[in-house]
Amino acid sequence: MVTDLAQAAHAVPQPFAHLSAPNALLYRRVLRTFARAKERFIVHLRPEDVAAELRRGSLEQQPTQTDEQLAQALEKLVEWGNLHADADTGRVTSVEDFHRKRFLFQLTAAGQAAEQAIAFYEEAIGRRGALQSVALGDIAEQLQSLKALAETADPDPGKTHLLLLTLAERFSSLADNAQAFMASLRRALDFSDGDVEGFVAYKERLIDYINRFIADLANSGARIAALLAELEDRDHHRLLALAARREAADAVPEGADAAAAYARAEAAASDSWENRWRGLKDWFVSRDAGRPSQARLLRQAAVTAIKQLIDAVGLLNERRSGRSDRSADFRALARWFAEAPDDAAAHRLWRVAFGLSPARHLTVTAETVAEWRQEDLAPATPWQKAPPVRISPQLRRTGSYERRGKPNGVRDRSAARRLLAEQAEREAAETAAARARLCTDGPARLSELDVLDPKAFRLFLGLLGDALSARFPGESEVKVVTGDGSMEVRLSQVAGGGQVEIRTEDGVLTGPEHLIEITDLMAAS
Amino acid sequence: MMRDEDVAQRRTALRALLARPLLTAESDPATLVLIRRHITELRDWLNRETGWRLQADAETARLFKTAPAGSDATYPARGRVGEPFGRRRYVVLCLALAVLERADAQTTLGRLAEEVLNAAAGPELAEAGFTFGLDHRAERSDLVAVVRALLDWGVLRKVAGDEDAYLSATGDVLYDVRRPVLAALLTGARGPSTVRAALFEERLSELAAESVPDTDDLRNQAMRRRLTRRLLEDPVVYYDDLDDAERGYLVSQRHAITRRIEEATGLLPEIRAEGIAMVDPDDELTDVRMPEQRTDGHVTLLVAEHLATRGEVSLEELHAFVRRAAERHVPYWRKGVTAPGAEEELLAVALGKLTALRLVEILPGAPSRVRGRPAIARYAIEEPTIRERGQASR
Repeated sequence: MVTDLAQAAHAVPQPFAHLSAPNALLYRRVLRTFARAKERFIVHLRPEDVAAELRRGSLEQQPTQTDEQLAQALEKLVEWGNLHADADTGRVTSVEDFHRKRFLFQLTAAGQAAEQAIAFYEEAIGRRGALQSVALGDIAEQLQSLKALAETADPDPGKTHLLLLTLAERFSSLADNAQAFMASLRRALDFSDGDVEGFVAYKERLIDYINRFIADLANSGARIAALLAELEDRDHHRLLALAARREAADAVPEGADAAAAYARAEAAASDSWENRWRGLKDWFVSRDAGRPSQARLLRQAAVTAIKQLIDAVGLLNERRSGRSDRSADFRALARWFAEAPDDAAAHRLWRVAFGLSPARHLTVTAETVAEWRQEDLAPATPWQKAPPVRISPQLRRTGSYERRGKPNGVRDRSAARRLLAEQAEREAAETAAARARLCTDGPARLSELDVLDPKAFRLFLGLLGDALSARFPGESEVKVVTGDGSMEVRLSQVAGGGQVEIRTEDGVLTGPEHLIEITDLMAAS
Repeated sequence: MMRDEDVAQRRTALRALLARPLLTAESDPATLVLIRRHITELRDWLNRETGWRLQADAETARLFKTAPAGSDATYPARGRVGEPFGRRRYVVLCLALAVLERADAQTTLGRLAEEVLNAAAGPELAEAGFTFGLDHRAERSDLVAVVRALLDWGVLRKVAGDEDAYLSATGDVLYDVRRPVLAALLTGARGPSTVRAALFEERLSELAAESVPDTDDLRNQAMRRRLTRRLLEDPVVYYDDLDDAERGYLVSQRHAITRRIEEATGLLPEIRAEGIAMVDPDDELTDVRMPEQRTDGHVTLLVAEHLATRGEVSLEELHAFVRRAAERHVPYWRKGVTAPGAEEELLAVALGKLTALRLVEILPGAPSRVRGRPAIARYAIEEPTIRERGQASR
């Protein structure tokens, strides 16, 4: 039998087989006993120890099992590879014991891993999603310590590594919990199962809880974000590298190429730390408006959750206070409107049901009020006999308070348009006249130009400006076409011509004598 | 000094609530601040004088006005350009609200449309002869008009997109649903779904019904509130429209009641033999203006003057009158007023306004006749009035 059990341990382990076996409950309880014992640093258990533990645990209504059942269960577990059996070589105190096959049992590595996996699974499934304000405080503390380390010239690798490890552990549990919390909020808000009392009691605790967490998140979150920034200013990479190096030191040397293996391990560790750091930062520091930090998202989700809870509670209270279901109310109204005999009836229903209609009052002028007061009208005065409301004669006559000179004043713009057209026409005619006036029959001296009217003079100045600005320094002659292509100007300086004067209605222009020739290209065409 | 300012602020706040019983921080932040500042006094006053509830928080203020089931059909819901809602829009509005009541915190116009379509397909609406699809542009614009009303009230808040894009079938619009506003839309103590009556008029009166108080004091209080509400809401309250008890009460209490309204709102009482009008010296607190500029306003004024001295007139005669007026005022009025048949439309608008202001009534029967109600005399042109006053003082 000893050999059988020993051999069984060598077979391929099936540490999850017991979960789907009949009697799964017993197997689970046995294995949990081992796991708990291990937590107390006890490695080996005799069957009677297991039985005693099971009895201790079975004060609740769990089925008790016979020693025989237990022995079989242990055997099975050894077979699946969860447990490992060693011959018990301890002293015995009775003959029966001596003749019995005696074993010491302990969890195998596979068994323990399976146990942990199951525990983790159960925890993850059963988690209510706690928000941890304590974790926030811890993270801030750790960062504070890291900052102190970063400020030293030569940080202690051991301390650094330990701090970073704790930080990572606290942070990942915070993140996991937050995730679970978000999920459980959705469940909590969906209270359609109708457990109203439970919901109302739950919501109060939840609101308290969320409020506290939001406050913590707001305080610690800002502090953490600031600490992260400060740490980055003090070269956090150095700290991460220290931790990575320390982790790599534990790497198992692979073959001859130990140095390369070490370098690889260090690179991997470093990469992993940088990644975690980035995660931490994304959590607490919003990158930009489009990508808010996790902490902010969480805060928003929590605030929204409170709002929704309050709405839900309001809705519940309304239902409980006998208020009808509003959705049903609106549906009933929809039907009534559909069945209303005519639009007038619908308008009445609208006013009665919604009460959103505005008040409506007649107006009165100060003059009229004064008149009423002056006449001291008795309440029995009929409207016919009371002074009427004074209405602006302008309004009475034209339907408008504004004074308008011509009938077609406001709406009809044809007069204004006509005016504009006339003005444009006049201007065009004046320009044409000025151009005609300016045109020279062949070259003429500036001094020969006659008295110019302002219109023509302004045009002339423009032409002169065009021509002079087109003339390069040193040149004495220039020919340009005006910007609108309508006129051509030829200008040449007359050597020794002296200063000339051009008289206009606005004044006198003086300058050196030029020969000027102005051609109206439009007229020519 | 401070007190005067307080009084003025309270008046502004109350007037704003009377004109717009549902106010949001988006539409009118300044007034909302005023309402919140004076909420206690306003609430006390409204509760004491009208029995109306006032709710206000940082986002919204809502005065739960109630209206009598009476026959006044001149307060329709209106679209963006002032057009009254038709039956289909009302139904779509209610369906949209029913859908939103169950909706998540956000929704899109496309999704709302889909759910309204589903709701519209119910057997009860089909029995009532109501059909709604989104195949026609008219139906789509009804939906958009409804959504715009919801936006105006603050039930929806636009997040992204544009309704016009939806109309042309090229885009969608995303909204936040604001449940607190949604919850404050229906007025009255009774949910329509609890009313079992099958006839329209019965439904209406059950919806508007208020519990009957059982002591004299409470009955008097209820009556005073009822009268105060009418004076606060209606342009003119005629004694003829009241029952004997109300009339007696109003005649004996008119000074006290109107003084309280005057203090709270700045409206002045025009107390006459036939009734009371609370008139507004600021010409603000109304949705129908008289007098008013432009063609429609001018026609309305002229028709009022015409009726003021003639009492009862046939519709035909009024058409002729409007036709003549159009010819006389053609330089001032908009185009097309002298076209054949234009007078019918002009007169319809004018009578609509005058009916809304309780200045005329259209008598049943064919051919139709129109009668000026007593208060129309306040629009009589002065010469005849002066002569009449002369006669009266003799």
